[in-house]
Amino acid sequence: MREVRVRLAATQVEYISGKVFFTTCSDLNMLKKLKSAERLFLLIKKQFPLKVSSVSKGNIFNEMQRLVNDGPESWLSAISIWKNLLELDAKKDKLSQRDANPLKRKVGENDVSNPKKLKTEQMQELQESRECRLEKQMEEETAEQGDFLMNREKSQEAFQNEVVKAADDPSQKDLTFRVSCRCSGAIAKTFTAQEVGRVIGIALMKQFGWKADLRNPNLEIFIHLNDIYSVVGIPVFRVPLASRAYIKTTGLRSTIAWAMASLAEIKAGAFVLDPMCGLGTILLEAAKEWPDVYYVGADVSDSQLLGAYDNLKAAGLQDKIELLKVSVTELPLPSESVDVIISDIPFGKKFKLGKDIKNILQEMERVLHVGGTIVLLLNNDHHRRLQDCEQSGIPLNSKGSPTDEPGIEECMSPREKTDLSDTVSSSSEASSQGGLDKMPPVGSLVPVECYQVSLGRTEAFICKYRKSHSLGL
Amino acid sequence: MKLLTHNLLSSHVRGVGSRGFPLRLQATEVRINPVEFNPDFVARMIPKVEWAALLEAADTVPKGPIEGYEHDEKFLRQMHHVLLEVDVLEGTLQCPESGRLFPISRGIPNMLLSDEETET
Repeated sequence: MREVRVRLAATQVEYISGKVFFTTCSDLNMLKKLKSAERLFLLIKKQFPLKVSSVSKGNIFNEMQRLVNDGPESWLSAISIWKNLLELDAKKDKLSQRDANPLKRKVGENDVSNPKKLKTEQMQELQESRECRLEKQMEEETAEQGDFLMNREKSQEAFQNEVVKAADDPSQKDLTFRVSCRCSGAIAKTFTAQEVGRVIGIALMKQFGWKADLRNPNLEIFIHLNDIYSVVGIPVFRVPLASRAYIKTTGLRSTIAWAMASLAEIKAGAFVLDPMCGLGTILLEAAKEWPDVYYVGADVSDSQLLGAYDNLKAAGLQDKIELLKVSVTELPLPSESVDVIISDIPFGKKFKLGKDIKNILQEMERVLHVGGTIVLLLNNDHHRRLQDCEQSGIPLNSKGSPTDEPGIEECMSPREKTDLSDTVSSSSEASSQGGLDKMPPVGSLVPVECYQVSLGRTEAFICKYRKSHSLGL
Repeated sequence: MKLLTHNLLSSHVRGVGSRGFPLRLQATEVRINPVEFNPDFVARMIPKVEWAALLEAADTVPKGPIEGYEHDEKFLRQMHHVLLEVDVLEGTLQCPESGRLFPISRGIPNMLLSDEETET
């Protein structure tokens, strides 16, 4: 939600049960940059849930038909917005294709009149393949063309190409469509998704004269009916937002990775570590968004590191992210050297976690700067275990110097002590009061926020901690 | 592996403690990568650098951060080159205390220790 407000200057933002609704006038490029959402839809209708009466199915069918028939203008205007957006996209694609030919020439001839950016790329001594170089140049070209597009649209220049014409010629009557339905809650008990889809499809055909095409439609219509709302929308992009162009192989879902990175308060010049980076998804998302930062990823597995290296190269980020083969329980870094740690704790299903989570946290805590943040993705077990430790008040300093505990008490004044326990009690869910009984899970890490997220079939928690003071060593 | 990274790595062999830094670098294959120069970023990294370790690892390095380095572009460009553009692809890092060698392969240093070697 925050992202939508910041990036798109969206108004009327609403969050309802897994979907964020908002209004904006940004263009396609900005919409493409949304990172925390899986998919983006253009809203046609949103209304109160259809009432499920046990009397007759026919009534409800009528209601559904009304979704289509009531206010056909909302359908038509949504369709025209969608077409406009797609035309812009198509124009851009066409432009970049046309530029591909002259670009190929440029690469071959080492044309001196290129703009500066292209020049530096040609001077690289890397053995990048030609396609890769071509891609980079195309990206820059399209970026420049993107600016031109807005102007050209107005002056209707001779960039009218077949794609645009083809989209204009068939009137709205010749659109082919497909309806995808999702039902949950009370409605799902009465109808199957196919039934609903069929009803809506027939209504659409009657109302607008469109044809249904299940295999390769122009227009896909999504309907989601549940106990809280009935929503109809059109997907804005053909590919879900969550599939990133710059990540070759993903480990963690890119939306979650981005969300974790944005919670971590990454500032320019920071040192960010992912001690169990796997394929590097989190670091890639972070490096794309916050480029002036020193990123380091570590893993114990060769195959993961190789995959990560491939990802880095594919994204062109190998200069921003360094890789190390180290174990998270023995980080060869000096204490208090890292500003931010972000990590996806292996869940045990895909990879084995050799050491205990407490040990891992302790090592992370050691290398972290005071005031630094840690953002972790935990599964239910880990989360519960950490919360138990919070409540029982046992500091998990099983490893390392036993001077930690008394050290902490010494360097804090009595006032600070109560402050610390206040923060702990407010952010954890335990109801017990009391000053020094509750210690944060690992020495000086204070929990800041915790969010429950869904990873598709499983659930997990994103937890953020801050290091409040140094360990007395 | 960039020299900026080497500047942070230390040995975790049992009993070595702080004498495990800095690691002695022996590079057999080095590549120079042009990296976009970002003076602000370099200026922020300077205070984090351990100069003694850097001097050992690299040849042409200024002796230390000079007064007003944040605005001295020549100095920043030199540091940029040394810290970010020199990439060690193959070589070894040696723990100065224990002599333990850590290999660098395809630019990635392998610092995993066996169980007996780690401190517990």
